[in-house]
Amino acid sequence: MINLNFIYSEIFICLAIMILLIIGVFKKNSAYLIYNLTILSLFVCLALILNFPIDANVELFNNSYKIDYLSSFMKILLILSGIFVLLSSSKYIQIVKINKIEYPILVLSSITGMMVMISSNDLILFYIGLELQSLALYVLASFNRDNILSSESGLKYFVLSALSSGLLLYGCSLIYGFSSSTNFDLIAENVNKDSYGLTFGIIFIITGLAFKISAVPFHMWAPDVYEGSPTSVTIFFAILPKIAALTVFIRILYVPFFNIIDQWQIIIIFLSIASMLFGSIAAIGQKNLKRLIAYSSIGHMGYALAGISTGTNQGIQSSITYISIYLFMNLAFFACLFMLRRDEKYFENIEDLSGLSKNHPILSFSFLIVLFSLAGIPPLVGFFAKFYIFTAVIEQSMYSLAIIGLLSTVIAAFYYLRIIKVIYFDAEKEKFERNHNIGLKISLTISTIFILFYFIYPSPLIEIIEKINII
Amino acid sequence: MIIHSIFFYIFSVIAVFSAIMVTVSRNTVHSVFFLILDFITISCLFIMIGAEFIGMIMLIVYVGAVAVLFLFVVMMLNVSKQKNEWLGDEKNSNHIPIGLLISGVIFFELIIVVGGWKYKPELLKTFSSIGIDLSTTNTHEIGKVLYTDYIHLFQLSGMVLLVAMIGAIVLTFRQREGIKRQSYFKQISRERNEGVELADPKNNEGVKIDV
Repeated sequence: MINLNFIYSEIFICLAIMILLIIGVFKKNSAYLIYNLTILSLFVCLALILNFPIDANVELFNNSYKIDYLSSFMKILLILSGIFVLLSSSKYIQIVKINKIEYPILVLSSITGMMVMISSNDLILFYIGLELQSLALYVLASFNRDNILSSESGLKYFVLSALSSGLLLYGCSLIYGFSSSTNFDLIAENVNKDSYGLTFGIIFIITGLAFKISAVPFHMWAPDVYEGSPTSVTIFFAILPKIAALTVFIRILYVPFFNIIDQWQIIIIFLSIASMLFGSIAAIGQKNLKRLIAYSSIGHMGYALAGISTGTNQGIQSSITYISIYLFMNLAFFACLFMLRRDEKYFENIEDLSGLSKNHPILSFSFLIVLFSLAGIPPLVGFFAKFYIFTAVIEQSMYSLAIIGLLSTVIAAFYYLRIIKVIYFDAEKEKFERNHNIGLKISLTISTIFILFYFIYPSPLIEIIEKINII
Repeated sequence: MIIHSIFFYIFSVIAVFSAIMVTVSRNTVHSVFFLILDFITISCLFIMIGAEFIGMIMLIVYVGAVAVLFLFVVMMLNVSKQKNEWLGDEKNSNHIPIGLLISGVIFFELIIVVGGWKYKPELLKTFSSIGIDLSTTNTHEIGKVLYTDYIHLFQLSGMVLLVAMIGAIVLTFRQREGIKRQSYFKQISRERNEGVELADPKNNEGVKIDV
């Protein structure tokens, strides 16, 4: 008998999707109700995960579904950010008129796919989770279908993502052929260094995963999709799929293929260096804030990959810390972006921020903190994120990676500081509206406080993450 | 055994030929027909190696659904204008070397991978050791595990299909304005005194009707 207690959260979220769909079909004008019920069901889901001991180590369904410390922590992170994303974008979707009943339901189903990805200990299960999340994301990207940019971004994401899924499946089939199993633990037993097939399989899988977290050279979709899709979807893109894909990255590289680390380590180092450099240089010329944050997220994924490339527990922990902190910084950034509203229109260019500090001192202060933190200036939280990564990298004597990382931080600081200059020293423009909904205010406040005061009491987060031990 | 190999070569030649014809054929409709031919021969090859379930799925899904969908899409487009002329086209022919290069690289990678494969004689023994009964059919075996060992995958595939359905509806369904819908309950429960009014018109005056 399988112990289903541990997947109550997944079962609940699947049932919630169907029940919400039925409510939406039979009750007229229920978009707002369903949006709030979705947030509520995410809270229930969070409670269901926290209900069980977080350090449980359970394997379900013939060892293909794993509930361990890593998966529980990442799921909590995922659902928390899902709640924040939905809270902060509720006003936006009403104004842009994409408040249909399907919107929150698609968000929920995407989160389901990500939870499956995070827990998967099997190639087939991982692939189905990945498809579930990306299928919902394609639709979300083109949700504003009357807008030509949104349709374009959905189509572009769909075509490129289908291609990368094909590569990933090809890699899975190679790995299955050469190790005669799809289960991660069984693959780990059958891995030997001589077979080329496994190496090719790993390369194809890394390609597919790198596409999902938009690491260079598989980043080309990110700026267009981030710019084209509605901002409420962009914030979703920027945070949640990265949490899930990074967990899979860690699990797939460290559980089955840890013995052949010399074959994949150099690939991850290359991805990391290329993403850090490209993310910092290509963002310099951008005028659109969403496009800029796309390049910035490419760069940030480079740092997270640098932690993974070390091959140590400390490296993994630093990557997970990085993604947790990155989540809050992006949340705060997009919350600021949601506040740039005037006459039922949202503004997303850097020049619209000109002179913001004269009219909106608190909003500009939040912007200042977020941008300083993204640039990695102490004592804000972004500095600590990078600090942990570089400590882990230097302990493995990978000095060139650390030096390139530091250099790209310096380059990236330029474009973050340029926005601050525009906000504080340029001529002022018309005022933006001030009546924002409470959810947006809450998420901005929480994330800004976290960014600002993390350095006073950093031990809780570090202590939680230090327990993650996968090797 | 010799008949088996003769059939194998016949099907393989047809499969490779039709795969090439899909890309070089001038008429788009012909391309789709060659694609269908390709799928059918490949499903024959699957049946020949004893994978009758995959062969039939191939026929049902690819020929029955995907290729027919392609055919409909191609026929919806204006085919007479959109000739498939990339091969001889001056403008596009500079893409061909790059495509050939990439496909060549992937081909050689495949050769390396397959060359690294050492045929394992012990593979047949593992078949019996993991309990595969060679006397039953594939379909029977899949049926045994699909609802037991792989129930979670089966259910999750259902979720994927549900999301696909929601997505298709979201992206294509439009609520049009000004359409009068039928309301059966209202129509049936209408009574005489709601719909009929008796008037008593006088001469040369007519009746005033409220609209």
